[in-house]
Amino acid sequence: MGAFKAIANGTGTTVRKARVLVILYIVNLAFALVVALPILALVQRELGHSLLGVSIRPFDYQWIGEAMFRHGESLAAIEAGILGAGLAYLILQVFLYGGIVGRILDREGTAGLGAFAGDSGRYFGRFVRIFLISVVFVVLTLGLVMKLMTAVFEPLSKAAITEWVPLILSNLHFLIALLLLSIVHMIIDYTRIAVVADQERRVLKALRHALTFLKTRFFRAWSIYLLIVAATVAGSVVFYVVLGRLSAPTVVMVVAALIWMQAYIVFRIWIRTLFVAAQAEYYRSHPY
Amino acid sequence: MFDLSGKGQVTGRTRRLILALAAAAATVLPLAATAGQTVPPPAPGTPGLSYEIWVELDAAAKMLLGKEEIVWTNPTKDTVPDMLLHLYWNAFKNVNSVFLREAEAESESQGRAVPEDGEWGWIDVTDIRLADGTDLRPTFEYILPDGPETAGDQTVARVRLPAAVRPGESVHLRVEFRGKIPRTVARAGYYRDSFFIGQWYPKPGVYEEGKGWNCHAYHQNSEFFADFADFAVHITRPRRFVVGATGKPTDSHADESAGTTTTTFRQPMVHDFAWTADPRYLKIERDFVASREVTPREYEETAQRLNLPLEAVRLPDVKMTLLIEPEHKGQIERHFKALRAAIKYYGLWYGPYPYETVTMVDPPFRTDSGGMEYPTLFTAGTSVLTSRSELDPEGVIVHEFGHGYWYGLTANNEFEAAWLDEGFNTYSTGRVLAQAYGPGTIPFRFKGLPLAWFLNVPMVFDFETNRVSAIQTVRFDPVTSWSWKFYSRESYGANVYARAATLLGTLEGLLGEPTWDRIMRTYAMRFRFRHPTEADFIGVVDEISGRDMTWFFNELVDGTKPFDYGVADLSSVEVPICGRGVFDSEGGRVEWTSEKVREAETAALKPKTAGGPPAPAPNYRTTFVLRRYGDAKIGGDARVQAVVRFDDGTTETRTWDGQARWTRVEIVKPVRASSVQIDPQGIWLIDENMANNSLGTDGLRRNVSKLMTQLLFTVQLVLHFLGSWS
Repeated sequence: MGAFKAIANGTGTTVRKARVLVILYIVNLAFALVVALPILALVQRELGHSLLGVSIRPFDYQWIGEAMFRHGESLAAIEAGILGAGLAYLILQVFLYGGIVGRILDREGTAGLGAFAGDSGRYFGRFVRIFLISVVFVVLTLGLVMKLMTAVFEPLSKAAITEWVPLILSNLHFLIALLLLSIVHMIIDYTRIAVVADQERRVLKALRHALTFLKTRFFRAWSIYLLIVAATVAGSVVFYVVLGRLSAPTVVMVVAALIWMQAYIVFRIWIRTLFVAAQAEYYRSHPY
Repeated sequence: MFDLSGKGQVTGRTRRLILALAAAAATVLPLAATAGQTVPPPAPGTPGLSYEIWVELDAAAKMLLGKEEIVWTNPTKDTVPDMLLHLYWNAFKNVNSVFLREAEAESESQGRAVPEDGEWGWIDVTDIRLADGTDLRPTFEYILPDGPETAGDQTVARVRLPAAVRPGESVHLRVEFRGKIPRTVARAGYYRDSFFIGQWYPKPGVYEEGKGWNCHAYHQNSEFFADFADFAVHITRPRRFVVGATGKPTDSHADESAGTTTTTFRQPMVHDFAWTADPRYLKIERDFVASREVTPREYEETAQRLNLPLEAVRLPDVKMTLLIEPEHKGQIERHFKALRAAIKYYGLWYGPYPYETVTMVDPPFRTDSGGMEYPTLFTAGTSVLTSRSELDPEGVIVHEFGHGYWYGLTANNEFEAAWLDEGFNTYSTGRVLAQAYGPGTIPFRFKGLPLAWFLNVPMVFDFETNRVSAIQTVRFDPVTSWSWKFYSRESYGANVYARAATLLGTLEGLLGEPTWDRIMRTYAMRFRFRHPTEADFIGVVDEISGRDMTWFFNELVDGTKPFDYGVADLSSVEVPICGRGVFDSEGGRVEWTSEKVREAETAALKPKTAGGPPAPAPNYRTTFVLRRYGDAKIGGDARVQAVVRFDDGTTETRTWDGQARWTRVEIVKPVRASSVQIDPQGIWLIDENMANNSLGTDGLRRNVSKLMTQLLFTVQLVLHFLGSWS
């Protein structure tokens, strides 16, 4: 199966399983509301009755500076809370991944909440272990490999006689880090798919399945991944261009911008399921 | 008399004549002046100091070899027995220097503050004697002008003179020195074969009558202070180097056998001399032609606004030189455009630029010497990748050129009153940039790439960014602290740059633009070629404004009190036509019950007769409370102005002297109030909370709703990103 066909089939799957999107969107929105509530309350208290609220800009440097000054200490105090919320969300997402992969791979099954939750629970333990493996991979990538890269680049940068050399090396370093991370992500995605598709209980074995699968098809598999990344970038560009045109502070524009921003969140969630669906299509089309 | 006061404006031509006379006098002075020989005291504005320096750059060994002739004339009524010399490069000699100790204490060692092994810099005075040959070396000693706690520092030295210098007498010193160029620290030094040479020669302090020598150690958080002088400097360097320096190159000759070139630069009436050498510099010269840059209408408007004759505001032409790195070649025009704007607006507002040349240096890669001012020469700095909207390098060009006015011409003591330079110049930079370019985007960068290329980065004016820094720092130090006595480097920076600029912006709003423009012009011209203090500036403010503004400086500049006035409460309720209760009536008492009140109100609102005039509208009692949240108080004739807006579009203004912690104000009017706002014109930039400056009776606003939706969206995106790592 070619990369485009895998993506096309994956897209069809995500459309058929639209309920997965709904579930993920609601979870994202609900969690975000809880996290954002103290900040929203602060904004309302500070600006709700102030004439400054009439002219406030989305990124109002002066007000943000003032607010950070007034509430900086409080923000520091709730840092632990924010970190805790982030960790909780991460664990929640590990849990939900079971539902995403389970429902996407179940061609005939429904994508109802019950089935979704069932899959989430069923695969949670295994996906937690995969998550821990991914942490090891990320640490190895960012720590070891990138340190080696730095050791190679640093003498070149130190010997530079113009700023071009360090600038190019720094961006190259960053690009390589991104590409390596994309490979790690891809391997972990295929491992999750292997767990569900092969009903594999041992995650290391699933990892071996994924690596064996990728060994002979690495570049095609990677092209699927990178094409979806490209689609995300393209979608994001369109989003920001349109959002820039919805900046007038009229009721219609405010509502339109709100809808557009939420549409973008749905788009990003859809992209996430597309990664799973396209890669699952590709994985299943090449039984080994 | 060399009078450059605000009232006695000189034209460009007169100024050039005066400078030419001064230069001629300086040429003669070194020949005539020897130790103990009485010469007439210098006229005000004429330098009582001259330097002739021969310096050779040993590019391979990173060394300077120099000879220096200093002629100093005692301008005071004191008899001076010694001379104090700055030896700034000893700040980079070892970790015992005050500079490096302060840098380490501030954890600046992560950057280039502390040299690495083999990269130290120092300066040795190898010989020092009077012109008659008297050896002063035996009297040479390092001293600690800033107290015993600076022990180990060698940045100030003293020589005792065999005969004290009486008022009006001159002393002629011959000094030989060797300087090891540091790998750049504090903008002086080298990277590979690029050199930026600042604060490099033995330099006398400033003698102050009745106080002695003002000659502080080189501190991390301070810049410099020196007397105006005439300079002639002969720079010898390997032939392949392109050189730029303070002043005007007057002569250049090559030594074929040595493979060197020597160029002489001369500049009268400056208080420092810096130079740079790099084989890769591209040298581009342009002219600032005043008649092309300034329209007749602009001259007329300026003259009118400043209440000066037209001739007094005319600008002279200036020779502009740019030394730029080849990789920045594409930005040559941006550099010149910014410099032209700076010469024009500083010139129109603060007086004509008094020198013939200005040299703008794009500092060589990794010399870390960007963003620094020297007389008639400054360093800017840019990147190969820039966004036009960031106003970079424009901002730094305008700023560093502008220093030529404050530090350069109204040459305050930067050790003891840095804000008179940095604050004034930060304020002025903001004005010039706003006038010439408008707002710029915040320079957010990632991996050297300007984010303004990809994102809609917000545009801000300098006064906004200054204000945000200013409010954070009020509680740490007075703006007027001595440079090294600030709580931290951050407090120094935020106070002397941002808070000072914000206070000047506040003062501008308070006194009104026309008055303010005259104040700044008068101050700049009256103290040109002098060393003004805060008191001098306050004197000009009071004189021109006709108001006693001492309170402003005492309370806000010299103090650490936060400034915050706000509106604490607002209500606007209908006033009952009659109230409930028992009231005395003719011969008795009447109780007005709720029902009786209701009936009376209904009756009152009905037209008296059919077709008659409508019933009177009900009255509303609008009550609001103004509070002084901060400790700082306004003073003098300044008042807190509160504007109340009503539903019918009318407004009422109330004022408050702002001395108490709060005041309650009541207005009864047949219309409901919609809002109350203090400082509607945004005068009090130093107010640390603008959000509480107004209160409306209505609720959520559309822009606030939008802000909230964007905040929610941002949180959603962050969570989504976090989820992608699961």
